[in-house]
Amino acid sequence: MPTVHDEIDTWLTADLHGELSDKERDALHAHLVDCAACRKTHQEIKTMNKILEETLTKEKTDPAFEQRMLAGFRSRVPQRSGLVKLLVDLMRLRATQIAAVAAVLLGLVQIGRMITGEPVTAPREREHYVGEQFAAQPSQVSASRAVESGALAKSDEVAAGRSRNLPLKEPPPPAPAQSKDEERTGAEVERTIVTGSNIPTAAEETAQASVQETAPALANRKLIRNATVDLEIVGFDNAVQKITAFANEEHGYVATTDSEKQANGKLKGQIVVKVLPENLDRFLQRIRSLGELKNQTLGTEDVTKAYFDTDARLKNAHVMEQRLIDMLKMKTGKVSDLLQVEKELGRVREEIEKMQGELKYWDSQVQFATVTISLTEKDMEEPAAFLLKERAQLSLYTPDVEKIYNETKRLASPKVQITNAQLNRDYSGRVSAQLSMLIAPEESDAVIGRVKGFGRVENFQMQTQRLTQGGSGMSQNAKTKRDKVELNITISREEQEQAFQQTSLSIRTSSVDEKAKELRALAEKQGGRVRSSTFSSDPNGREVASVSLRVAMKNYPALMQSLNSLGRVENVSVQRQDRADAQIDESDAPADVSIQVYSQGNIVTEESGLLATLRRTLAQSASAIMWSLRMIGVAIAFLAPWAIAIVLLAWVARRVIRAKR
Amino acid sequence: MDASEREQYRAAIHGDREAFEMIIRTHSRPLFAIAYGILQSREEAEDVVQDSLVKAWKTRWRVRDPEKLPAWLATIARHKAHDVFRKRRTVPLSEQLIEPIEPEPANTNVLDQQLQSALAALPELHRAALTLRYFEEMDYRTIENTLGLTNGALRGILGRALASMRKQLRPALAAMD
Repeated sequence: MPTVHDEIDTWLTADLHGELSDKERDALHAHLVDCAACRKTHQEIKTMNKILEETLTKEKTDPAFEQRMLAGFRSRVPQRSGLVKLLVDLMRLRATQIAAVAAVLLGLVQIGRMITGEPVTAPREREHYVGEQFAAQPSQVSASRAVESGALAKSDEVAAGRSRNLPLKEPPPPAPAQSKDEERTGAEVERTIVTGSNIPTAAEETAQASVQETAPALANRKLIRNATVDLEIVGFDNAVQKITAFANEEHGYVATTDSEKQANGKLKGQIVVKVLPENLDRFLQRIRSLGELKNQTLGTEDVTKAYFDTDARLKNAHVMEQRLIDMLKMKTGKVSDLLQVEKELGRVREEIEKMQGELKYWDSQVQFATVTISLTEKDMEEPAAFLLKERAQLSLYTPDVEKIYNETKRLASPKVQITNAQLNRDYSGRVSAQLSMLIAPEESDAVIGRVKGFGRVENFQMQTQRLTQGGSGMSQNAKTKRDKVELNITISREEQEQAFQQTSLSIRTSSVDEKAKELRALAEKQGGRVRSSTFSSDPNGREVASVSLRVAMKNYPALMQSLNSLGRVENVSVQRQDRADAQIDESDAPADVSIQVYSQGNIVTEESGLLATLRRTLAQSASAIMWSLRMIGVAIAFLAPWAIAIVLLAWVARRVIRAKR
Repeated sequence: MDASEREQYRAAIHGDREAFEMIIRTHSRPLFAIAYGILQSREEAEDVVQDSLVKAWKTRWRVRDPEKLPAWLATIARHKAHDVFRKRRTVPLSEQLIEPIEPEPANTNVLDQQLQSALAALPELHRAALTLRYFEEMDYRTIENTLGLTNGALRGILGRALASMRKQLRPALAAMD
């Protein structure tokens, strides 16, 4: 701790300025009593203090100093006018400050919206709106779907309605019909007339009923009965014989017979038999056993009334005739009257004859029932013969289309007829030919074989069609005849054939040109053909030769093997196209091989040199910097309004806090 | 510092012009003392005080603590005075040449001249403390407040200032005795 002596100047000064405590002053004075040097210093300091007081007080400013300062201040910082002052005073109020900040923020937000062009609506509403828009489309779609499905439903309805209505219309109540049938077959098996879906008509029923009653009443009644029967029988002649026999047995006779022979040797015909009406039913039953009954109708015509009317009129006519004859016998009256009578008599007789003929006809009709029997032999529709039509489709690939075309044309002979031959050249100069020929059946195999030998078969298809003649269906007896074979040939150039297998590979070597030549030689050896080749070299010394060649599949493995001698084989990729119709022979199918022979060139390209890399790097970094500058600009432009708003807010908040303090 | 003073400072900071004018009345003299201490020229010191007050009014919002307003005012005045002082040094040579030729009536006294040079040799803070003490006869605490010094530092400063001047002016002092 420094002593009083060490800091005597400080102590003395403080003492002179009256800033020492009592205790300190005592300590100082005690020291001064002891220390002569300090007493001297004391003296000096006292004098110094006095000088300072005197000198500096002189320099002290005048009493008007404050007024001058104030006047200067007032002139330099002029008092604000009333309105500004009011505003400033207002701004000192907390509520005004908050309101102002809120207003400014709101204004900023509105300006931002105006700039970005957003609709001035609450965000939630906007979301809702957007959502609505998004929802609108699907809903529209669903609506249209609904409409669609509605339409569908409608059509469904229609369909259903139809199917609903149809059953109502459609099903002819089968139960009663069936039960009727059953009843009938049960009760009247013997008398079944109905076949197929034929439903007996009321007339027929009454007819049948009357038939049952005929026996006693027949004599009095004049009934004409007739029947038609359709029969399918095995042998026509046999059936005719039997029918004749039956007719005889039933006291009837065969009225007419006619028969007709079909192309397939089957007979069909019609027999008209007259039998006594009372025997009709029995007769029908008997002929039914001859074969399969297809159809039968039975009809009865009641001519009783007409018959007896005619009979009565006939009697009257006879009376009339008699009287006229009597008048003639008496020979009274004039000649003209006699002539008149004569004339009348002729008319009456004519009438009588007519009526008699009518009655005779009826009698004959009533006496015998007419049965018309249609006979058809079984398998009437069987075909008489088959015609075998063969149609062949042949596609050929050949190097020289025209030559093969001409050769094929030369095949024409009496047995080979060329119906169509055309040679086409399409816009790209490719030639193709199409030929159609008709070949006699016995020559067809030989000719097709020859044509096949003209080139590589791509596709061969044979279609056989059997046509029935005079009938339909199958027949074991019918003969089969081969028709002329139709052959359609398509000849295309080999190049157009799609390769069966496509291979691409690359070979790395140092001497491209030489190896490419070797490659050609190799291909030549394997019977391959070079289809295209290119050679190129780039500024970096990289040479590339592309060779595309076609080789037969059978030589393909050997070629691939030999490629290894050229250099390193890389990037081998094989694509195979298995064709659906395996009619082509794989060993002759073409395989495409595209080979790229290349050398590596300079290790360091111009593009990857030191300078280039440096240049590129610089360019990239420059562009990156430019990009980031742009991004910063964008960010500032984007953030600046907000930053300003936030700073403003912070400033106001700070002021508010300060004001609170 | 009592509550009324504190409230006055706060009002002044918040733009109460009357409060600030009151502060001008009470504080321009210490500011003058400080400026004079640095510049040792009344005219210049007055200008400095005037500038400082205007500047203080315009930048009053920078003061966070109203209690430190006097110290802040002093700092402004000191800086202003320094600025003026620096400008004075670069005054063209011709002007400087003219000055000594003019007879200075105030400085005819040898003691005065010696005193001025001794004062000029002091550190600026010491000078400011001296002027505050001898112009305004402020007590140590007020001076410390005004200059933003901690308790007890002023005593050493004044002591050293007087000691330094005493040593420089010793012949003159001896002659006076």
